[in-house]
Amino acid sequence: MIEEPYRWVEAIANRREYIEAQLAPGSPIVAIGYRDGILFLTIGKARQKIFEIYDRIAMGAIGHPGDIERLRMAAIELASTEGFTRSAADVSLRRLVHYSLSPVMKSAFEQVYGAPYLARMLFAEVGESPEEDLFLRVEYDGEIATNGAVYGQVRHGFAVLSGTAHSRELMEEFLNAQHAPDATFDATVKSALDAWSIGQMASQAGDTTELPDRGAVLQHRQGQLANSGIEAAVLERDTTTAIRYRSLSDTVLRNLSNE
Amino acid sequence: MERSPVVFDQNFSGAAGDFAALLRHKRLLPVPLIGAIPQPPSTQTTWQPTESTTILAFKFSGGVLVAGDRRATAGNTVVYDRADKVLEIDRHSIMAIAGVPATAWEMARVLEHSFQYFRRTQLQEMSVDGKVRALSKLLRDNFGFVMQGVGIVVPIFATYDSQVKPEARLYFYDAMGAQFEATDFAATGSGSPAVRGILYYENNWGPKPLHKLNEQEAVSIALRALDTAAESDTATAGVDRTGKIYPLIKIVSRHGITTLPQSKIAGVFKETVA
Repeated sequence: MIEEPYRWVEAIANRREYIEAQLAPGSPIVAIGYRDGILFLTIGKARQKIFEIYDRIAMGAIGHPGDIERLRMAAIELASTEGFTRSAADVSLRRLVHYSLSPVMKSAFEQVYGAPYLARMLFAEVGESPEEDLFLRVEYDGEIATNGAVYGQVRHGFAVLSGTAHSRELMEEFLNAQHAPDATFDATVKSALDAWSIGQMASQAGDTTELPDRGAVLQHRQGQLANSGIEAAVLERDTTTAIRYRSLSDTVLRNLSNE
Repeated sequence: MERSPVVFDQNFSGAAGDFAALLRHKRLLPVPLIGAIPQPPSTQTTWQPTESTTILAFKFSGGVLVAGDRRATAGNTVVYDRADKVLEIDRHSIMAIAGVPATAWEMARVLEHSFQYFRRTQLQEMSVDGKVRALSKLLRDNFGFVMQGVGIVVPIFATYDSQVKPEARLYFYDAMGAQFEATDFAATGSGSPAVRGILYYENNWGPKPLHKLNEQEAVSIALRALDTAAESDTATAGVDRTGKIYPLIKIVSRHGITTLPQSKIAGVFKETVA
């Protein structure tokens, strides 16, 4: 089938279409840098979607649990062995994603006789100041987007992940207007919840290009929270401890969201 | 006969989240020397490994106090007077070492990464029993080197387990990896006989048993014990009065680990020991 170049392109296009359809219903994940760290947040019903990778690195992912698990394990293995043989300061998200994960995902995607990774991932590494925070989004085909934008565009202090490109763009548009690098934790939780609702509404409603109004966002969030939980974690900027990852409880965040 | 595929499940087997195994697989950690031939001690010793001694730990009212002198020696030579023998492994665990620092520090590093690696991959904290056993395995794997006359390590492991009563847990090991849980105190290293004598005496006939001491009293006894050990053991530094080098003291409690500042130790020393 793939002896001819045209067939190969067709096979890849089919594969892309299939994966996009599989990822489309995924619940969005928001990562926002603020004064004291980086907040990861999503709303979900079932499995965990936000994970600790290393001292200063966390990951959020949508896709098939089996594939997410394989990539997560690979990331932790690579980071841990690097941190062990050299030092924690030598573990870098940029190297992890650019040199290790992306090439593997690209090969898996393009080798049409094998199975691709059915996953889209969002990584963040907390820096000493919000300007040094790094966000990387890695696609199933190995494509990397930095800090919520592709190369050459303005760096943002946030990044989002969603089932569809359309939903992701709306969330980015919202956060671009909302985001302040020196925001407090409480304010950041609220923007993250709003961004999540906007993303979720967009992936359900289809092709709206306008941001929904405030009332609709709040109403949507209330509806979702009635039967789902908030999953969140922070990477703290605090330099007194080595391990910066801390997961947050649903109840604490729920109280914040009600204010 | 085909074995059940469950047997090979990487995520629920003894090998799940085993960081030491991963390191060996990647050839980043030496494979244990199994069946190493014991070498008779050579009469013409040309090389002496650096060693360090005396460490002690006991339970007191504020948790577990772990203390170690700062001297590292090679044979009769003092190699270093600011060695750190009390090492933090995670938020609630301390490993103190007597023996060869090169091996001990490497073990501490493997252990520290093992606990983190387990939590990150398996999404649950390793149990205290699991942690205690992990150190035991590292010691056992190291025994081939011990038999060759290099790399002996005899550690103390102190941790806090909020799941079980009593919460403060204290273990000491032998070079082969046997773990012994201490009820009140533990001491290892060349100066330990003197220290054990003092701690035993204090615990039984002192003004109050060790577990009732407050922090000041506990620090005072630790300093006196190490100073006594240094009196007869050349490999133990005790307190260096001229160089103002004090033992390293850490306390593990429910709230985590505190390293006592040197100024505080100096204060207690001046008041109750010197």
